[in-house]
Amino acid sequence: MIELNFEHRQAGHCESGVTSNLLHYHKLSVSEPIIFGIGAGLFFSYLPFLKMQHAPLTSFRVWPGMVFDRATKALGIKTKIQRFKNPVDSMNKLDEVLALGFPVGLQVGTFNLPFFPPEYRMHYNMHNMVVYGKKDDIYLISDTVVENKVEISYNDLMRVRFAKGTFAPRGRMYYPYQVPSNVDLKPAIIKGIRKTANNMVEVPFPLIGTKGIRFLARQMRKWPQRLGDEKASYYLGQVLRMEEEIGTAGAGFRFIYGAFLDEAATILKQDWIKEVSVEMGEAANHWRKFSYHGSRNCKKRAKPEESYDMLADMLMECADMEEKVFRKLVKIR
Amino acid sequence: METPAENTDPVYKNKDYGQYRELFYSYDEQGNFGKTVGYHNEPDRLVLQQSWDLFNDRTEEARQKVLAGTASPIVYYMEKILADPLGLSMMAGVSFWKVKLHFKPFFFKRLSNKTLAKYAEAFNITVDQLKNFEQ
Repeated sequence: MIELNFEHRQAGHCESGVTSNLLHYHKLSVSEPIIFGIGAGLFFSYLPFLKMQHAPLTSFRVWPGMVFDRATKALGIKTKIQRFKNPVDSMNKLDEVLALGFPVGLQVGTFNLPFFPPEYRMHYNMHNMVVYGKKDDIYLISDTVVENKVEISYNDLMRVRFAKGTFAPRGRMYYPYQVPSNVDLKPAIIKGIRKTANNMVEVPFPLIGTKGIRFLARQMRKWPQRLGDEKASYYLGQVLRMEEEIGTAGAGFRFIYGAFLDEAATILKQDWIKEVSVEMGEAANHWRKFSYHGSRNCKKRAKPEESYDMLADMLMECADMEEKVFRKLVKIR
Repeated sequence: METPAENTDPVYKNKDYGQYRELFYSYDEQGNFGKTVGYHNEPDRLVLQQSWDLFNDRTEEARQKVLAGTASPIVYYMEKILADPLGLSMMAGVSFWKVKLHFKPFFFKRLSNKTLAKYAEAFNITVDQLKNFEQ
């Protein structure tokens, strides 16, 4: 029986929350927004050729796994990341690492996760959680989505670790094993901000960054004619689900990123970033407004002026606001 | 924006939904970022319920088709676990074009027990349940 002295803290975004909690166990206190910012987690992409839950894929963040990799690399933390072919091997390895006294982060699928809120139990294979102990056949779990610590049985854990489908986790487990006690956050933060800003405004590809938001807005105007009301409403709902659903902490990570800029201004001692963080907060509130009006449309309670044209206009405004923010941030030194 | 203090809003049709509190970040007029623990607010629940409505409709539609004999039980169980054909082919380990064929009752009847077992494992049911569709 092993039970590590792991502090469970609820978080908005599962991966940066898990990373922050793991580092906190190793006596390095870095908040969740800072991890998210250093890992350059903010992103936007609209990929109409990929379908998820019967609607085009809209993503507000980078590929899963990247936040942990980038953040720990930038902070000079030594980590171990493993994938497995054989489920039993992966469980043995997990026990071994726990016995060494390291809490372990796991990538799991949410469809069969017993303690997960039932309204979210769809096929989503990129969820992250921490195992911090074992009692006989019961594993002790800290999941940043749930308020308290939870437990899971051996068989259930094996099943969710080897969930199949797109982005199958294949038992992916990761843990930091050597954490320096003093870390200089400044260069990491600057690098993270530059990476995000670059992704959002500098990449010459129409489907990602602020260009992607504008592309989505232009497509949205055509949805009611092209798809019919029923399908258009579902497509719109899909955008809102990706924006507001679990693990975004509201407004498609825009709030969490604003909080990061706010903290970064204090750490870097650069006042202009504080002003930018205010703009980011306003952009985030605009996204919230967009999802409020959009959801009325999904419920078919929309007033005539809350049409797709108006929603597309709002998206364009969001894109303008974000472009202004990231044009400033891209010049950071 | 604020989150409601109590989960009283009957947006979700299933009673088990919306019982968990989550952490949200927010931004107020004074320029401060804050954290609150609370329930999802109404717009988010609406879109989530919309998604479950679609899944339920699709499952029901598939059930009718299977009963009418125009689709194989695989279609029904696939909709029941919220998968799409590509996802199902990955879960069961059967190639995509074969999965598409097995949607037709003609090919489904000719399936070997080995292939049926693959599907049954993906659906988390027994082979008998898959063969004798009664729902």
